[in-house]
This record gives sequence, structure tokens and C-alpha cells, in this order.
Amino acid sequence: MDKTLEANIVRFTHLLRLTGIKVGSGEVIDALNALTFIDFSDREQFKIALRSILVKRKGERDIFDHTFDLYFAPLEERERQQIEHQMRQKQKQQQIEEAEQDLTFEEEKLELSEEEKYLYSQMDQEDKSKIKEYIKKAEEGKSRIWEPTVKSLIENVVKGALRKWLHSHQDQVDLKDRVSTGDEQLDYILEDLDHSAPSRDESLMYEDMQHIKDKDLPKANLLIRRLAKHLVTRISRRYKRSRRHQLLDLRRTIRDNIRYGGTMFKLKYRSKRIQKPKLILICDVSGSMARYASLVLQFIYGIHSVLGQIESFIFSDDLEKISHHFHPGSDFNQLMVDIMNESRIWGGGTRLHKSLSTLRTNYSTLLTSDAYIIILSDTKTEAIDDTLQELQAIKKSVKDILWLNTLPEQEWEKSKSTKTFQALIKMYPCNTLNDIEKITHSKIFN
Amino acid sequence: MEITMENIRNGFEEVGYISDPEVIVTVYLALKLQKPILIEGEPGVGKTELGKVLSQIFHTDLIRLQCYEGLDENKALYEWNYQKQLLKIQIMKETPSCDHVEDDLFSREYLLERPLLKAIQSEKKPVLLIDEVDKTDEEFEAFLFELLSDFQVSVPELGTLIAEKIPMVVLTSNNERELSDGLKRRCIYLFLDFPTVEREVAIIKAKVPEITDKLTRQIAKAVNLIRQNTEIKKKPSIAETLDWARALLTLNEDGLSEKVVKQTINILLKTKTDIESFNKQIGAAALDEFARS
Repeated sequence: MDKTLEANIVRFTHLLRLTGIKVGSGEVIDALNALTFIDFSDREQFKIALRSILVKRKGERDIFDHTFDLYFAPLEERERQQIEHQMRQKQKQQQIEEAEQDLTFEEEKLELSEEEKYLYSQMDQEDKSKIKEYIKKAEEGKSRIWEPTVKSLIENVVKGALRKWLHSHQDQVDLKDRVSTGDEQLDYILEDLDHSAPSRDESLMYEDMQHIKDKDLPKANLLIRRLAKHLVTRISRRYKRSRRHQLLDLRRTIRDNIRYGGTMFKLKYRSKRIQKPKLILICDVSGSMARYASLVLQFIYGIHSVLGQIESFIFSDDLEKISHHFHPGSDFNQLMVDIMNESRIWGGGTRLHKSLSTLRTNYSTLLTSDAYIIILSDTKTEAIDDTLQELQAIKKSVKDILWLNTLPEQEWEKSKSTKTFQALIKMYPCNTLNDIEKITHSKIFN
Repeated sequence: MEITMENIRNGFEEVGYISDPEVIVTVYLALKLQKPILIEGEPGVGKTELGKVLSQIFHTDLIRLQCYEGLDENKALYEWNYQKQLLKIQIMKETPSCDHVEDDLFSREYLLERPLLKAIQSEKKPVLLIDEVDKTDEEFEAFLFELLSDFQVSVPELGTLIAEKIPMVVLTSNNERELSDGLKRRCIYLFLDFPTVEREVAIIKAKVPEITDKLTRQIAKAVNLIRQNTEIKKKPSIAETLDWARALLTLNEDGLSEKVVKQTINILLKTKTDIESFNKQIGAAALDEFARS
């Protein structure tokens, strides 16, 4: 095979890996072998051949197609990509330089990262003016005695303002800053992909559920239904697998083999009954959890439609049972409206200790040794110590308590409540749909 | 039949399997590279059918392993014929010289071949269809690795059995669970989506030739619209489209109407929830109007 083509394919597979598509060496070899069987001057045939060997997930097909079109683009198209890439780089550098000029204190540049400067450049004039105004006032009112610390104080305030702005404008800013691959063509293709690649379902998987936009909700709901189905499949499989460890049913074996003069022709086995775990779901619907709650209830709804044995509760100031809303064939949107209309606690404060106490008092029959309790909450609650005591008491009656924490994992260390409950309860991150997927694949019920 | 893209395309056409270049190139490469094809897609898009069609066009046996939860090696690969072995022991009790009984008992004579072993032992290159592989457990999936990469299996008493003719392997999955990377790596991947309106028109014409062009087009457009609705959980399969077409033909209809859609929608949608969703989201009148446009 032509060495240039060989090198090109290897480079292309390297590019695919950078976009997140898993390509093994074996697949690269297969792709090279495949090219000996096809007419690679036929672009469509060439593309299908590479796709069928290098892509193994439906969700990656669009990314592959887009990457293929950019990489194997005609020469003029590649030149255009290169020019656009250079222009974007130049423009970004210019914006950063302008930000540097604005962000000075006593004619000295504030110590901000490139990312922070870029963030500033993306702000509208009004927000920029507020920051400039603040620096100006600080310059006018500063005391000479505090001079060395004033600058770092201002830097911290500016950084805080930038973070706050980013939080509310995440949709508008692209902070992806790729590390250079050392190959200029790959760099600009990757940059182009960042700007123009079709959004794949997977990108929603990594978005904080709180920030999923309304227009993406139907897609998110579909993903959630799929995840619920996967979890149910796992739960039922786990128990069915135990059927393998069959026990010989001696009584039935002897009885059945009497007709053969006692020779054991036919063996009879005892099979274990298939049991699914009993689940009690407790979902936080306090003010800060609204978006998570609606998505997670969708997840619970998905599980309910397949697995009957679930008791579902919502809590904020107190606990409310909602299992009766989940009946076969119910419409999810109507169900949400019903739950929200009926609920006296939706969007309230968070008093988990009170809610757990209600669970223990009013629903004690549910707390059996084969039940798993799953709590979905960001752990932000009143009376942490009382909550811990309630959890300790409940833990003694049930098989296990699992906590799906919607607080981003990097913030767990700073959260007192998370750290306190984590000492007693197994905690799993549940901030993105990807986290939910990980939970469905983990053996959390073992 | 020589493996060429042209021959595969003609073969598919002859047996009425309407496909696009993606299917043809993927099948061609899988056969040339002697790799299994892993087909994913919604139920009813023609995944299993592809395995059957391959056996038809290559005039060879179709060996089918239907996967289910709890499927194990005994049911998929081989089992010793326990009853026959016991009978042999009983007979040999009467015979004084029975030194070689133990060896005999674990010879091929006492081996019950299950689909995978049958495919390996076959004298003529068969099509091995491993259907709905996502329904099996992860352990079974790992067990398939040896078979799918080296086309050999190990039977402890007999040693390693290597395929005499490498079978054409087709695995199908409804994506109920994510398959392992190990399995995917060993396969060539094909995602079968629901057909486009044009392709579905061609399928209906091939399978129900008596139907008019006008009705064919209306059916294909209507089914396509229903499939796009996210609230409908069980999307109509190609087989259901064909059933609908045949039903309309039996009713002597030459075009869709609101009344006929209402009367026959249960052929396409099989659950009460889906029919309710259809009535709420689309409705017979709107479907009829869209199909006629």
C-alpha cells in the first residue's frame, strides 16, 4: 500500500482518538487491511469502510463523519481551514491584549490567567464597565499603608466577578483550550470541530443537569429513559445470574430415576427464585434541587415502568410519598403536574432530619433488611448532626443506604455536610447524566 | 459465489432485501476480512433478516443462537450426552475388558453439539447468527471472545477445536445494554436505522407488489412521521409497515383517510400507551393530511 496513504490513515485515527472516539491498534490494522479490498478513490466507499471499522457506537458516527470531512477535505478547503484558524488565533490574542490594557491597577497589570483575560474579553460593555469602575474607585480610595495587599485584593474580587459572570453565561462562552498536538493541521481541525461539530447526545451526558437547557430536555429525557432501562436490566440480571449456582434436588432426582432402577439418568436441580431488590427512593425537591428533581423523577418513572417494587418519596421541609402516581401507562408530564400540584413541600427548605424521622415513624414497615434506600440530594440540609443520627438509626433496619449527591464531586471536600454523611453512607456523584450512567453500570447493589 | 460488492448487491436484490451502500460495503468488508458483523439498531429494522439473507444468497446453512438472560456455554457450545454415557457404562459392566471405557466416554460420539460448536465443525461455511447478544450476561460475552477472534473453542476433554471453514458471523443487538469494548473491537460495526421514506417505498414495493404507488408512498410517509415522535415508545418496525400495507390492500383501500387510519392504527402501534400518545401528539386526521401532501 502507498506509504502516504498508510501514514494518513494512522494520523486520522490519532485525530479520532483526540475527539474522544476509542480506536485500538487492532482496528487501525483492520482499517489498513480493508483498504486493500476497496476502491479508495470512491470517497463514499472509503468513508463507509473506515467508519464501519473505526466507529463502534451510534453516537460517534456524526463526529466521525464531520472529522472525516474536515481531514479528507479538498486542498482549497484545507487552505480555508488554515486561514480561518490563524484568524481566530489572532483575534483571540488581540482580545486578550485589550483585556490586559483594561485590567490594570496603578498602571500595573493584574495577575490573571489567560483564560480569565479571555473571559473578560467576552463580557458585554456594561459588565466590563462595572469591573473597570470598581478598579478605578479602588485606585482613588486606597491607603498607601495597605498598598501591597490592595492589588491582590482587587485581583481576587475581579476573579470572583469573572467566575460569577461565567456561571450565568456558560452557554455563550467556549473555554475549551486544547493543548497543541504539535501538528498544525490536526490543531486547526480540532479547533474547527469545537466550533462546528454536531452536538452529540453524549455532550448532554456531561452537562451539569442544572444547566441543561429547556430545548435539550426532550433529548435528556430520552437519555434518562435509556439509562433507567439499563439499570433495570442490570438489577434483574444480577439475580438471574445466581441461578447458575444450581443445587441438586436430591429428592426429586431419586423419585424421577426410580424408573431407571436407581441409576441417575436425569438430574433435577433446585433453582433460586428470581428476586429484585426492594428500593426506596427519596428525592430532594427543595428550591436548589428543582431541575435535578424533574430529571431524576423522570429516571424514577423509567424504573417504575419496568420494576414494580419501588417506593418513592420526595422531601424538602418534610417527607411525602409519591409512589401512587407511578402507575403503568401514566403520562410523565401529567404525572409531574399532579405531583407538583398535590405537593405541599415542592421547592421548600431542606430538613432532611425531619423527613427521615417521618419515614421511620410513618413508613416503618418499608424499612426491612432486604431494602435499599437511595437518597438523591445535594446534602445541603439543616441540622446536620440530627440528620446523621436519623441516618444511623435507619441504616440498622435496612440492607444499605446509598446517597446520590448532586453536588459536583470537586466541591465535596469543602462541604461539611457531605463529609459528615460520607463517613456513614456510600456516596456517588450524581451531577450529570454521565454520573447516572456510571451508577447504572456500577455494582452498587452488591 | 465469489465475494464482490456487485454480487452481494445483486444477491440482496434477488431475495428482496433492500439495502443501501453502507450495508453492502460493511458486509463485503466483513466477509473479506473474515470478521463478525455487529449490527445495532431499533427492533424491527432488519438486523436478524440480514443474517438470514446472507445464508440465502450464499446457499448455506443458517445456524442461529438466540441469546437470553442466563445463556451459558452448555446451551451455546456443547454438552456431554449424559444419558448415553450412562447407558454405555451399564453395557460395559457386563463386559470384562473395559480398559478404554473412560476414553470412549469423552469422544465425539458422546458430544452434543450446540449452535456455536456446530458452526465451528460445519464442513460448509455457514452463517452463524448470534441474535440479541445484548440479552446475555457479561461473562458469556467474554466467552465469545475466543470464538470471534480465533474461530476456535476449547473443550477440556478434546482440546482446542479450530474451525474448518470460518463461518460468516452476524451478531445483533437492540442496545439494551452497552456491549463490552472487547467484543466491539473484534467486530465490524453496522448501525441500521429505520429506512428513509424512499427506501421504505422500495421495500413495500418489493414485498407487497400488488399495492398502488400512491398508497405505498402514503404509507411510507405516515410511518416515517410516527417514528419521529419521541413519545411513541415502540416505533413501528418494517414488518409492521408491511402488515399495514397488506391490511390496507385487503380492505381494498387505494389511499389513506382519517377513518381508515383510526381503524387500522393498531396494526402499527401495539400498546395502549402508544396509541394514546399517537392520538394526542399526531392524530389520525393530521397523519392522513401529512401522508397525502
